Amino acid sequence: MSDTLAIRTRGLTKRFRTGQIAVDGIDLEVPRGAVYGFLGPNGSGKTTTIRMLLGLVHPTAGEVELLGRPMPQAAREVLGPVGALVEGPAFQPYLSGRANLVHLDTCDPSADPSTRGRRVGEALDRVGLGAAAGKKYRQYSLGMKQRLGLAAALLRPRELLVLDEPTNGLDPQGTREVRSLIRELAAEGITVLVSSHLLAEIDQVCTHLGVMSTGRLVLQGPRDDLARHEDRRVTVTTTSEHLVAARQVLDSLGLSDVVSGGTTVSAALGEVVTPTIAATMVAAGVDLVEMVVSEPSLEQVFVELTGEGFDVAR
Amino acid sequence: MTTATVSRHTRWAVPGIAAAVVVAGFAVQPLLASADAGDLPAISADQLLVEVLEAEPQPLSGTVVYTADLGLPDLSEITKAVSGPALTADPANLLAGTSTLRVWTDADARSRVTLQGTTSEFSVVHDRTQAWTYSSADGAVVHYALSETDQARVAQLQALVEAGAFTVPGGMPTPTTVADDLLAQVGEHSTLSLDANVKVAGRSAYQLVLTPTSTTTLVGRVTVAVDAQTRTPLQVAVWSRADTQSPALQVGFTDVRFAMPSEQVLTWSTPAGATVKEVTIPLPSDTELAGAEHAAPAVSVTGTGWDQVLTLTVPAGALDAQDLTALATAPGIMPEKAQEYAQIAQGPHGAAVDPSALLDQLSTPVAGGRVISSALLSVLLLDDGRVLLGAVPPATLVNLAG
Amino acid sequence: MSPAESVSSVRSEPEAQPESSIQPERWAPRRGATLRLIGAELRLVLGRRRNQVLIAGLGTMPLLIGLVLYFTSGGPHGDGGPGFIAQVTQNGLFLVVSALFICLPFLLPLTVAIASGDAVAGEASTGTLRYLLLLPVSRTRLLVAKALGALAFVAAAVAAIALVGLVAGAALFGLHDVVLLSGTTVPLSEGLVRVLGVVLYVGASMTGLVAVGLFFSTLTEVPVAAMAATVVTAIVSTVLDSLNALSAIHPYLLTHHWYDFAAFLRLEVDWTVVAQGLGVQAAWIAVFGSLAWSRFIQSSITS
Repeated sequence: MSDTLAIRTRGLTKRFRTGQIAVDGIDLEVPRGAVYGFLGPNGSGKTTTIRMLLGLVHPTAGEVELLGRPMPQAAREVLGPVGALVEGPAFQPYLSGRANLVHLDTCDPSADPSTRGRRVGEALDRVGLGAAAGKKYRQYSLGMKQRLGLAAALLRPRELLVLDEPTNGLDPQGTREVRSLIRELAAEGITVLVSSHLLAEIDQVCTHLGVMSTGRLVLQGPRDDLARHEDRRVTVTTTSEHLVAARQVLDSLGLSDVVSGGTTVSAALGEVVTPTIAATMVAAGVDLVEMVVSEPSLEQVFVELTGEGFDVAR
Repeated sequence: MTTATVSRHTRWAVPGIAAAVVVAGFAVQPLLASADAGDLPAISADQLLVEVLEAEPQPLSGTVVYTADLGLPDLSEITKAVSGPALTADPANLLAGTSTLRVWTDADARSRVTLQGTTSEFSVVHDRTQAWTYSSADGAVVHYALSETDQARVAQLQALVEAGAFTVPGGMPTPTTVADDLLAQVGEHSTLSLDANVKVAGRSAYQLVLTPTSTTTLVGRVTVAVDAQTRTPLQVAVWSRADTQSPALQVGFTDVRFAMPSEQVLTWSTPAGATVKEVTIPLPSDTELAGAEHAAPAVSVTGTGWDQVLTLTVPAGALDAQDLTALATAPGIMPEKAQEYAQIAQGPHGAAVDPSALLDQLSTPVAGGRVISSALLSVLLLDDGRVLLGAVPPATLVNLAG
Repeated sequence: MSPAESVSSVRSEPEAQPESSIQPERWAPRRGATLRLIGAELRLVLGRRRNQVLIAGLGTMPLLIGLVLYFTSGGPHGDGGPGFIAQVTQNGLFLVVSALFICLPFLLPLTVAIASGDAVAGEASTGTLRYLLLLPVSRTRLLVAKALGALAFVAAAVAAIALVGLVAGAALFGLHDVVLLSGTTVPLSEGLVRVLGVVLYVGASMTGLVAVGLFFSTLTEVPVAAMAATVVTAIVSTVLDSLNALSAIHPYLLTHHWYDFAAFLRLEVDWTVVAQGLGVQAAWIAVFGSLAWSRFIQSSITS
């Protein structure tokens, strides 16, 4: 059993009736307590995978374990402590935000009716919808709808949150709020699986990453392991007359891929530590205006693995 | 059990089982109804006939289903188109297809028969020498009664009524009436035998079979299911010579209770505000009764038993097509009965059916006239005004007409 | 962007957590969960404006019929229609029966189709179905709640016709002793009971179509498609019922016994007729209810 894993799949596959393979034998591993960024372009199979994790879609092959229990067999026992936002929020358009949450909670077989009012109010406040709770859902903006979806997932204390594209439709401010919400939830010990097609939106909050491309899980692991050392670059800014000297220093330290231009020179950092570079520069009499180490370019990794541009995966 | 663990086979098995149970449920109903009646005390066919004719009439109430499959063009389409929705209970609907009637009788002088339309009824209530008909479709009440002078000699006429010399109009085909007529009038022209016992309306019954001794009639055989307990005919089926698979005509109880109907059922009360049409039943005068027998001067009978042919002379155009249809399809095969039912079918409120259209639909031209041919009866309409009808092939009528 | 979105921020309330850590959350179903689910569904169905408008619309039918008959003083008697329409002007109670009779061929099946076709497909199309299943609500219970919601809607529609018919009939024509189809007059009290029988029978006659609609509703994520298929089923059944060549299957058709409500207006109520009509509905419920169940219980939720 995988007591340390909140989600684990083995050879999870979904082939549609048309013969198209949406998910192709993936082994997903989401440790408990992790914030798992589930990345991939639109159509790469993220949502289908999430539907299978939650028992909404039946896998063609493979196994799913959610909180240590097999899905979809144990759906009724295991889904309670799982909050989810799957492919956008969905509510009754003719009910208010509050009425929608009350309705949902009334349908929840294990929810306590006596605390319903308080829990609904808290969830609405937590996503910043307290003031708009009485408005009809159909009058909500896309961002407000998204927030209500999050509120529904937070109606009860969860062990696991599965958030499919939670920042979809949010403005930059809203995106930041969601990120900070995810951090808070993670701090409470809740495991979060958050999917996105934009690395930048979730990169900063994730402890783990998984990257999907055309139905395959092409990369998975702790975020820091994925940021490969050899991909870190150092960029030194100096004056134009010291540029050649600076370049010689980097060469002398054995750094590879040295590129210079204008007043900067950069190189792949490798195993060399920055104080060594600084000390050598100073010793060589180079005017050191600025030295920056660019953090691992996950974005590049992501683009390498999944392709770039607007191509939606088949 | 969680829903997801239900296997694909199991989940489709559930509607499968539900469908099987439903089909079985519907299939068992008729099986139970027609189940073998088992052993009944042995009786000879002749003895049974005698007992049926001599049996005390029983007070009863029940539901009668009447089915005619006479091989005629589908009339319902025509009558529907002309006389409104088929939802209406109209005696004309007796001509083809299936009709349902409910019957109550005190076995003496009072009875009620209703023809059930989908959302309507045509009721006939008999009370001694009076009768009422009521059609819920138009609220029309017709009251049939004797004239005052005839009322005075009711007792004398009662005997005639019982002897079948004339009938009060408005009768409906019930197993009892049809069987009695058949058994009384053609029993002597038939071979009697017994078939396997049956269940009709949940009651055990003997099955009396009359096979015409004549081979020139259209009628193949007649089966009469006779209630073992009361000797009341429960079902009559008339089979044509042509079709041995299903009866051309069948009238039988689907539900019967031998008990005195309630007073409310047997009593007629005219609804408030209804208009009543009064009809005086013309009774034959004493002199008429003393003189000619049953047949009116315009009617002559040739042949006997099943081969009887009735010849009427009517002024051209006096008979409308619906009468003729009724003649050709009437539940009784005897000409007298046919005549009676023609009268009913035309009815107090006879539907306005375009006669010529209906006639064209029903009949085929022959030399000197047209012929209507059904599985059990043929009618020859001659251009000279004569009408010949009988349970014989059309050719027989044509030959007879010369 | 709405003001709420840009002004408010996501706040954390860590002080709310200790309570739940002291009392571990219960995830087993609580007592009365199914009843609460059904209650929530009924509130949803009956509280929805569209449905209320539909029911009110049906309720105006008897009023409309009543007013037409009132101002045309009944029209010609015996124009081929059933007698109880002509009787309305003499007895307002028949307005209930006449309104049901007029709504029976199309308006009521349409209402049934809207109620039942929307039941599952409606939630699927808005996407709310997946969130209900993630709560998690058992699919079987959800289907039962949906069926009851649709039935409640149909019952409300029939009741609206009956009640408005009764009130309008009483106001326009007065209530009097009832002339049955057989010409017999029964007291008003008995007439009311008989008309109640008619109303209940008509309501029960719709249940088979509810099951059919529910089944269609599990096949699609487009509610209108399920509704259309349900209406078409009723129409096809009516057409088959009118073809004499198919008389062998007529007794088993969904719509064949709909007009047998007339049994309650006959001299002696023939309970075998009533039982047959209800039996056929039960058969359709059994077959299509179980089909809906087997389809819904394992269908993929992809909306």
